[in-house]
Amino acid sequence: MTQGSPLRLGRHEFSGEATLMMAIVNRTPDSFYDKGATWAEDKAFDRVAQVVEEGAEIVDIGGIKAAPGEFIDEDEEKRRVVSFVARVRSAFPDVVISVDTWRASVGRAVCEAGADMLNDAWGGADPELVDAAAEYDAAIVCTHTGGVTPRTRPFRIEYDDVVASAIADTTGYAARALAAGVAKESIVIDPAHDFGKNTFHSLELTRRLDEMVATGWPVLVSLSNKDFVGESLDLPVGERLTGTLAATAISALAGARIYRVHEVTETRQVVDMVNTIAGRRRPRRAIRGLA
Amino acid sequence: MRVAIIPGVLALRPEYASLEDPVAELRKAVDEARDWLGDGLLVVANGSAKRTEKAPGHFDERAAGFDAELGNALRTGDLASLRALDVALAEELWADVDALVALPGLGTVTEVQVDYDDAPYGVQYWVVRWVCPT
Repeated sequence: MTQGSPLRLGRHEFSGEATLMMAIVNRTPDSFYDKGATWAEDKAFDRVAQVVEEGAEIVDIGGIKAAPGEFIDEDEEKRRVVSFVARVRSAFPDVVISVDTWRASVGRAVCEAGADMLNDAWGGADPELVDAAAEYDAAIVCTHTGGVTPRTRPFRIEYDDVVASAIADTTGYAARALAAGVAKESIVIDPAHDFGKNTFHSLELTRRLDEMVATGWPVLVSLSNKDFVGESLDLPVGERLTGTLAATAISALAGARIYRVHEVTETRQVVDMVNTIAGRRRPRRAIRGLA
Repeated sequence: MRVAIIPGVLALRPEYASLEDPVAELRKAVDEARDWLGDGLLVVANGSAKRTEKAPGHFDERAAGFDAELGNALRTGDLASLRALDVALAEELWADVDALVALPGLGTVTEVQVDYDDAPYGVQYWVVRWVCPT
C-alpha cells in the first residue's frame, strides 16, 4: 500500500501513505480567486477554522498575490503574515502552518512565529530561503518556474521538454535545500502549474506527473482554479471546480502527495476515491456483497 | 469436545478490510470463539439473508420466524432440531445451514454460550460456543 516516503513538516509527521490537503489562506486584498474575501485578519482566521474543520492538514498562508500588482515590501509582507501565523499556531496546534513566500527574511520571521513549512512558489528566487528553512528545521516546497522573476506572468516561454525542465530544476532545488541542512523528509517538489508556463505546459506536466513522482521526492500540486483549467474549458474563475477536480484526479493517480486547494472537502473526496481505485487506500466502509 | 458456530461473512476476511470495520463486534466475537475453540470443531453457518428490505436477499416475511427457530435450537444445543431443519426453506431464505444439518454425532450439548446474535445487515449471524462431553 505504500506510495511514498514519510513526511515531516515542521512539528508534524505523516506516513508514506498519507495524502495531505493544503488549504489556501490569503492575507491579501487582491488574490485572483477570493478577491480579498479573507483580507481582514478575522476573516482569514475564520477561513483557517473552516478548513481545519473540513479536514485540511496544512494551511498555506500568503501575504502577496502571485500575479503582478502593487509592490509589497518585506515589512508589509511580515505585517500581513507573522502575527497571523502566531495566532493560528496558538489556536490550532495540530495543523501544519505553511507560509507562501519567496523571501528568506519573511521565512525566518514566520518560522520564529511558529510556521512549519515554507512554500516557495518562485523556485528559489531568494537563494537564502533554504537556509531559513534549515535554521528552523522547517519543510520547504521546491517549485519550478523556469527561472522567471517573482510575480511575473509567462510570456512566450518555451521548453524543449517542460517535464524534464521541471524535474531538473525542482530536484536541483531539493539538492540545494538538502545541502543547506533541510531534512530529507521535509523537502517537497512542485511542478508549479501556470508559473512560467502556458496552458499546454501545465497540461503536459499533469499528464506526465508520474515522472516527477518517480524522482522519489514527494510531489505537491497546486491546480486549484488556475488558468490552465480555465483555458482548457473556457471558463472564468468561479466556474473551474470541476476541471480542477479532474486535474486533481489525474495527479492523484500519478501519486501526488500534497494538494494546494481552495476547496478542501471536494478535493479530499477525489483524492481518496482515486487512491482507493488505485488500491493504495482501503474503502472507508465496505459491506456490499460481503455480509 | 468444543464446538464453535460462526457465520461465513466475507467482510471478516483480510482482503476485504475497510478503514472502518463494518463487522467489528462480530469479528471480536468470532476471534474470541476461535481462540477458545483450540482444536475443536468449527461450524460455519448463519441464518437467513432476507430480514429487511435492504438485506442482500430483500425482505421475506418468513425469515424472522425461520431465524427464531434456528436461533432457539442453537441456544439450547438442540441437535435433533438442527438436523431436521427445512433445508428447502433455508435455501429460499439464503440461510447457510448445510453444516448444521450434517453435524456429526456429538452426543448432547452440556454447555452453551451465545457470544453474538444479531442481523446488522439483514443477515442473521450467531456466534455460539458449545461443550459436548464426547
